[in-house]
Formats: sequence, C-alpha cells, structure tokens
Amino acid sequence: MKKTLTVLAATLIAATALAGCSGSSSKKDDITLRIAMVSPGEGVIKVWEQIRDKYEDAHPGIKVELNYQEDAIYQSVGLPNLLSGANAPDIYFEWAGERLRNRIEGGYAADLTEALKQEGFKDVFSEGDFKGMELDGKTYMIPTASDVSNIIWYNKKLFAENGVEPPQTWEQFLEACEKLKAAGIKPIVSGNKDLWPGGNWIAHLVSRVVGEQAYGDALQLEQPFNSPDFVAAFGYARELWDKGYLNDSVNAIADDEADSLFFNGQAAMHPIGSWLVSGAMESAPDLDLGYFNLPAMPGGKGDQTSVLGVQNGFVINAKSPHFQLAVDFMAEYSSPESSKQLADAGAMPIAKGGVDTEHTDALSLSLIDMMKSSSMVVSPPDIGYNVEIANAFNMAVSQVLGGVKTAEEALAELDKTIAPLKK
Amino acid sequence: MNRSKGKFGISPYLFVAPSALLFGLTIIVPIVLTFAFSFYDWNGFGTMTFIGFDNYVRAFHDRVYLLSYWHIFIYIVLTVILEVFCGLLLAGLITMKRRGSAWFRVAFFTPVMLPMIVVSYLWKFVYNSDFGLINAVLGSVGLESWTRVWLGDPKIALYAVTFVSGWVYAGYYMTIFYAGIQRIPNDIYESAYLDGATDRDIFFKIKIPMIRDLVDVAIMLCVLGGFQAFDLFYVMTNGGPYNSTEIVTTYIVKVVFSNMSVGYGSALAVLMSIVIAILGILTNKLKKKESDALEY
Repeated sequence: MKKTLTVLAATLIAATALAGCSGSSSKKDDITLRIAMVSPGEGVIKVWEQIRDKYEDAHPGIKVELNYQEDAIYQSVGLPNLLSGANAPDIYFEWAGERLRNRIEGGYAADLTEALKQEGFKDVFSEGDFKGMELDGKTYMIPTASDVSNIIWYNKKLFAENGVEPPQTWEQFLEACEKLKAAGIKPIVSGNKDLWPGGNWIAHLVSRVVGEQAYGDALQLEQPFNSPDFVAAFGYARELWDKGYLNDSVNAIADDEADSLFFNGQAAMHPIGSWLVSGAMESAPDLDLGYFNLPAMPGGKGDQTSVLGVQNGFVINAKSPHFQLAVDFMAEYSSPESSKQLADAGAMPIAKGGVDTEHTDALSLSLIDMMKSSSMVVSPPDIGYNVEIANAFNMAVSQVLGGVKTAEEALAELDKTIAPLKK
Repeated sequence: MNRSKGKFGISPYLFVAPSALLFGLTIIVPIVLTFAFSFYDWNGFGTMTFIGFDNYVRAFHDRVYLLSYWHIFIYIVLTVILEVFCGLLLAGLITMKRRGSAWFRVAFFTPVMLPMIVVSYLWKFVYNSDFGLINAVLGSVGLESWTRVWLGDPKIALYAVTFVSGWVYAGYYMTIFYAGIQRIPNDIYESAYLDGATDRDIFFKIKIPMIRDLVDVAIMLCVLGGFQAFDLFYVMTNGGPYNSTEIVTTYIVKVVFSNMSVGYGSALAVLMSIVIAILGILTNKLKKKESDALEY
C-alpha cells in the first residue's frame, strides 16, 4: 500500500511538472509571428514595438513576439539555438555575405526574389542595397542597414597645422606619416588588443593588393596565404611599424582606449569603422574630424576604390509556416513612415525615407553615400568568413603590425595554424 | 534485522533521488558529455559527426595549445616563488612581533579581499603604456628607457600578469602560514633566545620546519590552482599579444565560444583534466614520508 502511494505521488509530481512546461502554449487559433534580432537599443526598440502594434491592429488574431539578444551572444550561440529550437523565429536578423550563405545552405533562409517585387518593397530599395544578399540570382535578405567597417579617421587640425593633405595613394600616405612624425606627432593609433581593429584595416589593404578574389579564396582555404602577393601586402603593414608610425602599444590597448587617445589629439590618424562618429560627438565634440578611404595601393590587383563594409538585414526563415505574414511585416518595417521613425530614434535604415538629410550629420551622410556608390564592398574577415580562419588571419596581422614577425614568418605561421581546418 | 525484502522497497531511493539527480545533472552528466563530445566534430548546434580520435590528434599538433602548457608551467613556477615563498617570508616577518606588524598584516592581506576582476582591471590601468602608473613613475624619475608596453610586449606580458597574481596571493599564503606559526608554543622561542638564536635562525630553523606540512599543501594548492587561472589572464591580455600569454583555460574558452568548436574544445578540456590528474598523483607519490617532520 505504502509503495503504491509513493509511486502515485511520484507520478503526480512528474505530471504536474510536465503540465507546467506545456502551460505556456495557450490558445491554438492565435498565430504567433516570432522575430529575433540583436538588441538595437532602447530608442529603436520603442519603434519596433510601435510597428508591432500597428501590424497587430491590421492583422487581428496575429501576435508578434520580439526577441532581443546581446550582440556577441546572438552572433555565436543565440541565433543558432533559436533556429534549431522548438519556437524558431519566423524573421531573424543576420549579416550579409558568408553568414547569410551559411543560413541559405542550412535551409533557414527563404527565397525573397518574388516577394521583394510586391507593393511596399519594390520602391523603397535601390540596386546597390542588396550587396552580399544574393546567391545564384536569388535574393535572400531584406536590407536594413550598412556599416563601413574601416576607414582612416584623421584629426583635421593636426593635419592642417603640419601642412598634410588627406592622402590618395600609399606613397602620399607614407609621406603624410613622415611629416607628422617629424613634427613629433604620433601618426597612427590603433587599439588592436582584440585583433579585429587591425585585422579589419589590414584585411582591406590585403584585398586591395592581392585582389578581392584571392583574398576571399585564401580566407576560404582555397589557396594558401603564404604567397608573394600576400607577403607584399603584409610587408606594407610591417613598414608602418618599422618606420615608427604606429603607437608602441598597438597590440596592448583595446579599440576604445585607442579612440580616447585619438580624441585627445595624441595621434593624427585612427583606422576604425564608421561608428567612431557617435563616440566622437559625445566624447570630443570639439574635435574636427575627417576621414579618407584606404589610399590606393601601388600595383594593387584589387579595386582601389573598394570599401570595407558589412550590410545586414532580416531573413525570413524558410521553415516558417507564415511566409506571407512575415513578408507583410517586413514591408511594414521597410515603409517610409517606419524608416523615418527609425531614423528619428537614431538608427540609419537603408530603405528610402530612412535618412533625413537635413538632420543627419554630414560625416554620416557621406559615409552612407560612400557605401552606396562603391563598386566593390569587401567583407571584413570576421563577418564574412569562418571565424576560426579570421582569428588566425587577424593574429598574423597583429604580428606584423607589432613588428614581432616578418610578413613571411607571420604568413607561414598562419598557414600552419589553419592547416587542421582543411579537410 | 527483521526487515523483510518487501519493506526495503523504493522509498529510500526516492528520498535520495533529489540530491542524486542534482549531483548527477550538474556534475556527472556534464563530465560524461564532455568526454563524449570530444569524439565529435560539433559546433554546439547543428549535426554531430563522429570523428574518433581526430580531435585528440589535432590537439597534439596545435601549436598554441602546446604552447599554453609551457606558459602555464612558467606561471606555476613563478607563482610558487612569488606566492608561496614570498608568503612564507612575509609570515616570518609579521610574526617577529615588532611594533606595527599588525598594520603590515592588514596591508599584505588587503589584495586578497579584492575580487580578481577588480584587481585585473586595476592592474591593466597600472600597466597601461600611455597613461599607466608604472610608466608615469619611471618617466618622472628619469628612467624613460625603462618604460615598456608592459602588456603588449610578448617577452614581458606573461611576467607582468604573473606578478599581479603574486601581489594578490602572497597575502593569502601569508595568512595560512601566519596561522600555522601562531600555533607554535612560545616556550620554544624563549628557549631558542636563551640559547642565543637570532630572528633569522628562528625563522629558518624553527618556524619553517614546524609548518613544513602547510608549505607542502600550499605548494600543491598553488600548482593545481595554477591550472585554474583564468580571470586575470582573460581580462588583462586574453592570451595576447601573439598568444604569448595564452594559457590552457583561455585557449579552451576561445576554441569553444569564439571558434564554436565544441567537439575540439571538449577534447582539449579532457586532455587538461588528464594532465591535472597525473600531476596530482605524481605530487602525492613524490611527497616525502612524514618521518622527518617535526612534531609539536
């Protein structure tokens, strides 16, 4: 008797526990549209909620669930977990290029070619907005924003005081550095502790020298890194260290520490992404900030006007049963009204109506133009490609930037490090 | 003794079940799973491919992984000196009963009370080459040539980080030894003084031999704890510059969470556990028999 009682009790406990788990799925007739993204910040989240409310009003019986995650988590484990989980998102944020291609190959990205021709989409985007979002003639992403990952920022005052003009070519760049150095000013500061700031910068330089094709092939293990072209490209980076144009602490300080050195006028140039603008407006409003794209490399095989950047957007899950509903939601999101709201909240949407030319600062505007008009967008190693290879590449870059290895040594070691990845 | 078979039924197991389950799910299952994962090529989600011992073979060819053991070896040797021996010396000094020794006791112990993360950030600023304390002081006393990029120079970074560990834990081991020395009866000192022993003699010939066991334990703690070092390295250099401060733990975290190679990372973790287990067994074997220890 006692035994049966205990068994009964155990079964009861188990049953209630199970019931507790399944308790959340309430009404079956309601359709839930799930959207996952990197947290865009409080202001923009408010706009998302407004768009959601508007959509829910227009589509009775449909609930929209917004899921925000922290950037690093979303990139690594967050999104994959969501996609393979039971309540997979119907719409999710992703970066264009290699990452999007992985999603397409994994069967998580729906073909949007036809959907993008429908009312609400066809007028808001222009040709150049879909870079890295197409595969075999099909489009897989609704673009939302683009970011220039590396340009060379300079202190206009320091340049003017020393009679330096923003350089167009590598020779002029070296001349400018020499002039600044002679005047007792550190020409370039970089905070490369985390390896991506220098990695992005020199990856761009490498793609200019060896050509975009060879750059991409090497990062996808289709050709070795240690080749004469790469040695030449890495040699340019090493030259900067050898001539004393870089801060000694290049691999010891993080990007934000380098930002503050640059804001304080302790260095004349700082190669980093477009996001420096907002930091500068906050921390150094008096700083006269200018930028130039990486100067043309001598004898380079790549496009010498290329831009290093990432584009991102939203993908509709190919496994979602609510494809059309998801498309409609994204049409609402991409509408000029929403774009204007997003822009007011501080985002810089790519869709028409997103950029308020009167109220956006001139630097950001010209950066957007630069991205849109560029004939070639190069992906940074850690967004566009396998992260393990990117890390090894960035490590090699830091070795030449910090002057501890020659170009040949660093590249030979790089090939050795990634050898086990070739299968 | 009159328990029949029927009475000794399921209930005892049910009572044990909660704690057994908790222990099993949080300790046993992860260990077994890590071991299992190490035979797969797996990125944490997606498909798992069985690849046998490939991960282990790869580990033995992984330059950075092997190097990280060399770094941890240097770190352990140095921390034994900086933490255990300096701690011993400090314990000897503060038990000399001079005026103000209580203040020193507190001062040496203070770093132990700070969370390691705080210590790491604090020293990151101290070492900063552009506005850090050390370079500023060196510069102001005319020793510009001694200034360094402390955490950016592959030849120095490991020692710089190790020094911080010594700064913290010397006080910790000092406290352990202090407690041991306090237990030594006063009459031993008195008779030693009567025989004309100096403080130096007392330290080396009385205090150290009498807390010999504690020193052994401290060295073992220091060696095995060295493998657990993580926070200090993670915050101050995260293995950089150029992997020159890469230790096993920081590398495993990179492999698993940055490279997303859960399978390979599991193999590295299993190997590390084996190395630590072997070390633990060895130290036990090597430990001298207790016959010559001083009794009191």
